[in-house]
Amino acid sequence: MKAPPKLVTGALELLHQRQGPLTRELLREPGGFGIGQVPAGKKPDATTTAVCGFCSTGCGLEVHLQAGEAVGLSPARDYSVNFGMACPKGWEALAPLRAKDRATTPLLRNERGVLVPATWDRALEAFTRRMKAIIEKHGPESVAWLGTGQIPTEELALLGAFAKFGMGVVHGDGNTRQCMATAVVAYKQSFGFDAPPYTYEDFEQSDVIVLVGSNLCIAHPILWEHVCRNPHSPEIVVIDPRRTETAMNATLHLPLAPKSDLTLFYAVTHHLISRGWIDRDFIDAHTTGFEDLARQVSSFSLAHAAAATGLPTEQIARLAQLIGTGKRVSIWWTMGVNQSHEAVRTAQALINLALITGNIGRPGTGANSITGQCNAMGSRLFSNTTNLLGGRDFTNPEHRATVAKTLGIPVERIPDRPSLAYDQIMEGILRGKIKGLWIVATNTAHSWINQADAVEVLKRLDFLVVQDMYTTTETASLAHLVLPAAGWGEKEGTFINSERRIGLLKKVSRAPGEALADFSIIKLLAEAWGVGDLFRRFSDPEATFQLLKELSRGQPCDITGIEDYAMLDDKRGIQWPLREGERVVAQSQRRLFADGTFFHADGRAKLIADDPRPVPETTSAEFPFVLLTGRGSSSQWHTQTRTAKSAVLRRLYPSEPYVEVSPDDAERLAIEPGTWVIVESRRGMLRARAHPTHVVRPGQVFVPMHYAKANQLTFPAFDPHSRQPSYKHCAVRLRPVEAADQAT
Amino acid sequence: MVDASLVLPKPASKKREPVRLPLVQHYLREQQRLTAVERFSQRHEADALAPDARYYRDLLPLEKPGPGQQLAFQVDLDACSGCKACVTACHLLNGLDDEEGETWRSVGLLHGGTPEAPVQQTVTTACHHCVDPACMKGCPVGAYEKDPVTGIVKHLDDQCIGCQYCTLTCPYEVPQYSKKRGIVRKCDMCSDRLAEGEAPACVQACPNEAISIRIVETKRVLEDAAGEAFLPGAPSPTITVPTTTYKSRRPLPRNVLPADFHRVRSAHRHTPLVFLLVLTQLSVGAFVADLVLGKLGGYATLGVARPYQSLLALVMGLLALGASVFHLGRPQYAFRAVLGIRTSWMSRECLAFGLFAGSAVAYASLFWVEPLTQRFGLPVPPAALLATLRNALGLVVAGSGVLGVLCSMMLYKVTARRWWSAARTSSRFFLTAAVLGLSTTNVALIVASLVEGRDSAVRATAFGLLHPLALLACLKLALDCEIFLHLKDRGLGELRRTALLLVGELRPYSLLRFGAGALGVLVLLLVGATPGIEAEAQLASSVTAWALLLAGEICERVLFFSAQSAPKMPGAVGP
Repeated sequence: MKAPPKLVTGALELLHQRQGPLTRELLREPGGFGIGQVPAGKKPDATTTAVCGFCSTGCGLEVHLQAGEAVGLSPARDYSVNFGMACPKGWEALAPLRAKDRATTPLLRNERGVLVPATWDRALEAFTRRMKAIIEKHGPESVAWLGTGQIPTEELALLGAFAKFGMGVVHGDGNTRQCMATAVVAYKQSFGFDAPPYTYEDFEQSDVIVLVGSNLCIAHPILWEHVCRNPHSPEIVVIDPRRTETAMNATLHLPLAPKSDLTLFYAVTHHLISRGWIDRDFIDAHTTGFEDLARQVSSFSLAHAAAATGLPTEQIARLAQLIGTGKRVSIWWTMGVNQSHEAVRTAQALINLALITGNIGRPGTGANSITGQCNAMGSRLFSNTTNLLGGRDFTNPEHRATVAKTLGIPVERIPDRPSLAYDQIMEGILRGKIKGLWIVATNTAHSWINQADAVEVLKRLDFLVVQDMYTTTETASLAHLVLPAAGWGEKEGTFINSERRIGLLKKVSRAPGEALADFSIIKLLAEAWGVGDLFRRFSDPEATFQLLKELSRGQPCDITGIEDYAMLDDKRGIQWPLREGERVVAQSQRRLFADGTFFHADGRAKLIADDPRPVPETTSAEFPFVLLTGRGSSSQWHTQTRTAKSAVLRRLYPSEPYVEVSPDDAERLAIEPGTWVIVESRRGMLRARAHPTHVVRPGQVFVPMHYAKANQLTFPAFDPHSRQPSYKHCAVRLRPVEAADQAT
Repeated sequence: MVDASLVLPKPASKKREPVRLPLVQHYLREQQRLTAVERFSQRHEADALAPDARYYRDLLPLEKPGPGQQLAFQVDLDACSGCKACVTACHLLNGLDDEEGETWRSVGLLHGGTPEAPVQQTVTTACHHCVDPACMKGCPVGAYEKDPVTGIVKHLDDQCIGCQYCTLTCPYEVPQYSKKRGIVRKCDMCSDRLAEGEAPACVQACPNEAISIRIVETKRVLEDAAGEAFLPGAPSPTITVPTTTYKSRRPLPRNVLPADFHRVRSAHRHTPLVFLLVLTQLSVGAFVADLVLGKLGGYATLGVARPYQSLLALVMGLLALGASVFHLGRPQYAFRAVLGIRTSWMSRECLAFGLFAGSAVAYASLFWVEPLTQRFGLPVPPAALLATLRNALGLVVAGSGVLGVLCSMMLYKVTARRWWSAARTSSRFFLTAAVLGLSTTNVALIVASLVEGRDSAVRATAFGLLHPLALLACLKLALDCEIFLHLKDRGLGELRRTALLLVGELRPYSLLRFGAGALGVLVLLLVGATPGIEAEAQLASSVTAWALLLAGEICERVLFFSAQSAPKMPGAVGP
């Protein structure tokens, strides 16, 4: 048989084409490097693991490289944090780098009030001249900075060192104030150091897991993966006013009244003590303050708690029983606890529960604060704001001397007092005491509580510098000077995750235009300021890491045992502490307090309790609903400056703000599903689509925090100890949008 | 450790001085240097193939499906916690389009219960690799194939002409149209991966192992579909027999609804199709009117008007077919559209209208043979021969035209939308043909009477058409009003959604549709009530009525497409 003529096959092919350019577009080929198939053309010639730059879970991402440049990624499999999994943000980590609104040159506001491109020389000159002029005229307290938990520890340390030791600025704080300050203070007071005691494996080893104010499934999906890996069929208790995705998977969900948690935990504490479900030996050997605690909680009966929380007494008793009789009880909390008017005491009530039942230092136990941002922990230890570098105290002369010696700077350059907190800096601007502000990698004009006021406050500044990846953030648009920053993936450094694991980020993508790593920007600013010599030892990120090691020496967070970046890479991240001479295996899981020794001078943990306080803004006939805020979806990150840049992530969350309201309330207010409603507090209003759902209880509404206007509603109350804002409770009212509203 | 080149040059003086440009340049240069490869060791072998199977060994079948079996997704609803990693992993590992945000998987939400026992359930979904895939059956070019062994429904991207009909036939919104490429693309269950023993991207990526690949018995799937057992809130499985299994240990409450259940939003307008449908129907109607009027009253009543009538009808028909090309993503391959003749009503429609167009060209030309040959002094063919040819071709034109409209009707009917039911669609399409066909005939008659020396018999015929035409137009309007009865339906069913769209978001089109239609009828009645009307006035009013009726039908067809609200997989909160 002769083969059919070419013309015939060609015609047949044209008629029914099985192959061709469009088919080839979607071909896959083996990726090699153990990563399975990848899209054709995206086959890497090398791979490297970088820790993710969104949340504090700290997943390892295997970046696929061609000629050193990232062409794709997949979650690292040989990484104990995430075992080859990631949430949508991690999968899309490269997309925000390619956004069209990346800052590519410095921008300086001209005489007509317009931000126009400027050279780096000009930008550095403007920063130096104007900041110096303010300091000269109004003193060192007239300039402040607001940092972040989103940039590497090395950059945070350089930023804090340059601002305080170089510029002579006294006040700086970070957006970590908004998420982790409570955990910091609670741990410091209870344990003697800001030390989350756990390792992620604890999720897998508990027989009782208590999640408080934490929607793990949405906020930390990979930590939920650890819960799912638990082979012990654990009891999962979720304490949250909403029936969250996590609550759906609980064996016991306690939908308590918002902010009744402290009363609940005191009642549980009292019940445990009265039933004898406590570890007396542990209490006697390793804690102080038990008698005071017992007295403090003695008036908190189950009935009292039932009245305050709206929960049946049996449920509260059941919670106590689970904590009291479980063998390996772990208690985890996030923003539902941290963002409260009495947050520190609530966190400490949870710490107390773990301590008095001896649920600490053993596998599957702990009073465990889950962190928010990728490097909140790095900021907590090394941002040089509230604490002197390395978790030290500004007021302690010895600490100042140690830091001065380690860094080789004159000791008199180190201030003898800690910085004002974020809200106090904002207050300082309002009162005209602070005239110059430098904001690095955070979006104050979106995220600060009672946002409308915050924007007005920022507008009062004589000089606002915003250092960010994007020119379009709400805050950057208010700046006098925008410094273009390189982002995650465009620079090296380390992050410290929730379980104290120090992970590496790698330089796998070229920053656009003249954007520079924050590290380089600060180095240039130091030169421009005329103090470059002071920071010679901070020659590059890895050299700075060596400084951080020295700064940690002798501290609970001692990492002198980590040799270098290569070791961090080889061991798949290393948890602090690792003291000089100590060894560690790859993917190790280490927890604190196995020996029951805490960081207070007496080696004991403190049991601390206070009377619950009423919420600062109660509901009323005029504002009858409690507004809850929180994470809307796992594809959104905070103020969305990065996640909104990915077309795929944008498809995974509602583009318009929405408000969850109980169907009963919606019906009473004649609010139809999906229609526009006005959510209004005494401070502002928000247009949102109504989503009637039983997920929220009657009398409560829920708005995701990612939409710019959500924080125009929130009430600026703060925990007195941590000064963390209370985003999770304020009074609002709700009504359908009327014709009059449409016009506005 | 520290690269010597990175050590900064010492400034000449510690005094305040502008930073020297070289330092900025140094950092800018350093910024562009990628360091991951040179600074860190490679952990994995370059030739390490598929990843360690222990991560998903339990999530794949151990053997190939046998006869009567196929591969299928299984979703453990109890494990799906709504993180949506599956969507992004599918996007990234399959190289889907970044700019268009192309996704082959999506995650919806069901919620319900009571204040005491609230329930929310996230639902991940992709192609269901149906037993009876409607995408494949409807495809006019054979761009879909169901693998005989695995049952995976694959799309041949290079064969696709971008007609997007599959986006209407698939009840699950699976095929995704890429404007950039002019084709649709869809999930193929990562068949290349499965062939190598590697799990599909979504299966690999679910942190909670909620998605797995299982072998299902086709018979069982059919039984389940017959029992309407699939997923609450989803389209009926009887349409395409989807193979995905949604399993759960906790029963969903009976009042469970998709989070987007109350969202009533208009669908794609498909403008080229609007013109294709309305104008083909006009053309077919005019040719059929020619035939029927000829048979009923003898061709004498049409007389001199027939050449004009057929020419007008032909032009409209050709315009319609021209319009249809604009609907294709890749019109250069339109010729493939007949390949699906065995299963696709679209192929049949193409064929019928192809025949219709061809015969209509010949038919209309025949009327001009006599006048043209006379004019140019050529030998005139025998009149009897021309008449016989005309009669025969007339039947072919009308027959193929009616068949074409029937195919158009079936094309939409098979999508199982209630708004596009056989009754609604055929009454719509055939009445459009009747109304616009007669109206066109009416215009043609008057034009002819004017051109050909004020033929009063022809004008009388035109006059006689007015009342039947008005009656048909009224009937059409009345039938089109039927949908508003569904405004009172209990619950938010498919037809109530459509009715709500007609009075809500699509109100302007509704007003135009009924306004233009009613005005058209009014003009017809006014002319009908003026027997002594001047020819020019009669022409002007007839053309006005024709334009109004046409505009009305075009708006009706816009509503036909954009007011459809078919059941779909549960969506998420908000748009």
